[in-house]
Amino acid sequence: MTTQKDFIGDISTALGRPTPAAVDLFTVAPTTAEQDILKNIRQRSPGERQPFIKTLQEVSVPLHLDFHPERSLEDIRQAIITLILEKDPEWGTKKSVVRWDHPLLNSLNLEAAAELKDISLYTTSPVAATLSAEERQQQRQQTRKEVEESFIGITSADYCIAATATLAMKTRPGQARSVSLVPSIHLAVVEESKLLATLEELYTLLKWDEAEQAEGLTNNLSLVSGPSKTGDIELVMVHGAHGPRELHLFLVADRS
Amino acid sequence: MSTIAPEKYKENASKGIADPVLQKALGGLQDRLGPATEKLYNSQPEGHDMRPRAHQFRRKAIDNLDVLLSTLADKVRGHGGIVHFAKTAEEAVEICKKIALENDVKTVVKGKSMVTEEVGLNLALEKEGIEVYETDLGEYILQLSGEGPTHIVAPAIHKTRREIAELFTEKLGTPYTEDPPTLTRYARKALREKFLKADMGISGCNLACAETGHIVTVSNEGNIRMSTTLPKIHVAFMGMERIVANLEEQQSILRLMSMGAAAQEIGGYVSYVGGPAQADHSDGPQEFHLIIIDNGRSKILADPEFREMLCCIRCGACLNVCPVYGKIGGQAYGSPYCGPVGAVVTPLLFGINTSADLCAGETLCGACKQACPLEINLPRMLLALRSKLSDGDPDWQVQPKSKGENLLFSGWQRLNNNRKIYDTLLDLMRMLQHLLPAKQGMITRLPWPFSGWTANRNMKKLAPKTFMQQWKETKEKKDS
Repeated sequence: MTTQKDFIGDISTALGRPTPAAVDLFTVAPTTAEQDILKNIRQRSPGERQPFIKTLQEVSVPLHLDFHPERSLEDIRQAIITLILEKDPEWGTKKSVVRWDHPLLNSLNLEAAAELKDISLYTTSPVAATLSAEERQQQRQQTRKEVEESFIGITSADYCIAATATLAMKTRPGQARSVSLVPSIHLAVVEESKLLATLEELYTLLKWDEAEQAEGLTNNLSLVSGPSKTGDIELVMVHGAHGPRELHLFLVADRS
Repeated sequence: MSTIAPEKYKENASKGIADPVLQKALGGLQDRLGPATEKLYNSQPEGHDMRPRAHQFRRKAIDNLDVLLSTLADKVRGHGGIVHFAKTAEEAVEICKKIALENDVKTVVKGKSMVTEEVGLNLALEKEGIEVYETDLGEYILQLSGEGPTHIVAPAIHKTRREIAELFTEKLGTPYTEDPPTLTRYARKALREKFLKADMGISGCNLACAETGHIVTVSNEGNIRMSTTLPKIHVAFMGMERIVANLEEQQSILRLMSMGAAAQEIGGYVSYVGGPAQADHSDGPQEFHLIIIDNGRSKILADPEFREMLCCIRCGACLNVCPVYGKIGGQAYGSPYCGPVGAVVTPLLFGINTSADLCAGETLCGACKQACPLEINLPRMLLALRSKLSDGDPDWQVQPKSKGENLLFSGWQRLNNNRKIYDTLLDLMRMLQHLLPAKQGMITRLPWPFSGWTANRNMKKLAPKTFMQQWKETKEKKDS
């Protein structure tokens, strides 16, 4: 077995150490340009975000992403109910929907919709630390079963990047990663305040924003741009290789 | 599955050139991806500095690989992951096999990973009775047909829809169709069952970030996310050079990689994986193992002439512009790494003598360097390899070429350095060339020992006057 010491030792020898390592390997303070980006994001008014919505609309088309025009929570709720009723499940005939345990999605209150009374609506709950290992395992298995059964998965996102139509999602208790992955259709509901212009803005926030720094990238940060796709057969573009076949995006207008 | 057989380069290249279907597929690929990538490079807000800067980031990472790998290992352990180091291919395979056997793993789903092809992982796991499924659609097609990848990003580019239709009918029992969306759906259904029952997921690592302690995977199909989210164990294989210091640098290279690989601003699914799922999370793997692999890389690192090659991120951009790859196809290279990148990496990893034809086969036209998102100087390294092949190099266990050839070229060199002898010989050749068989003004066959030159090409006849003579005459006319 190669130990870390031996492995790294061989590399140091190959590098001709003891020459000292570069000093600027890990950056510790934002550059002025990065400070400006942070300031820009923080001071941005809802009006200044409107051009991003137009960009998002444009880039959604080639990505095959369905960007919906509804902006108010009530309209979005209705649009989602319609989608659930109109879309067909890919595997089998039973209709189930799974969603994150997330304040914005809770406020949609889909569970109260009379039209959905025949449809199973699941929520991926956090696994309580007080449970025994066995009980935790049971809860995970239950969640897994519900996700597999669902043809639609509803999530929010930490950020939505206009230039590339990218959703950035960190992993958190109650926000199961598989909800945006296993169901055939992924619906994302994101607040307009989470809209950023470019990937550069996203990475600057992830790196330098105090709250982001405190949380870290988490053990799983996913960036999703459009539905699943492949060109592996004669370079013909096909959507729905392994992940969701459809991705629907809703932006909730700023109420302030 | 890949076997390392670069010795068959000439034989397989000839087959590739003679295959009209392959020619059409490669032509289509290069027409589409090559120019699209170039267009993206030119439209970046960072401008033309982006690529040289990214090259510097990579170079800095390689020059500080010991510090970065130690940092990554510490951080991943801090996130609850387990880090392994493997000096050789065999060791990497053993580590993964042990994890699988200890956890009673029956089914493995794999995301596309060139380094697992390099170490020959699948075969070793299958020998233990473990079912292994490639889940990238292209790789899955090749697994069913028992072939190796012929392009880094589009591994099954050499397969036609008809071949795939026949393959699926035979192996999956699906109704015959040549419709790519329907074929994709068949594979989706077949592999979904495997994703849901698999107890181990294996991925590669496109480019780790040392500072945050994450490996990063990229796919468009979502198969890597499936492989690393659903099974209870995630094992990631990482060539030791696939790392960069900090998040700013990571993102800039990641974006360039997407441009080089598929002419995208960013891959459809990018995942930063730092460790296993935490106790209060409702899904994700319970164990995360990272296997960091040397397998000949520290030898490349130690050689200043080839260290630059470790900057490569295997995006495949060079394949999409290379005139040689575009004609002979990926199979000729006899390695999971084909095209210009393969012509340098395969000799360095698997032996320079056995891969001699690979570096000799490239044209040194420089298209690969132009297309590379990191502007890696592949032509320079191809030349360096050729020089080793000619002179020999005990450090790389390279046997020099035959004494006769060396003698011939030193004679040629002397001849070229002496104007008088050179001109005399030219005059002689001009007279003699009329005796050689010719067609449409081109010589079709040279006598031994030069006959090899005309085996596959015709040679232009010598012009009646050299450039120098013409120059002199024109100048005299002008002056008079």
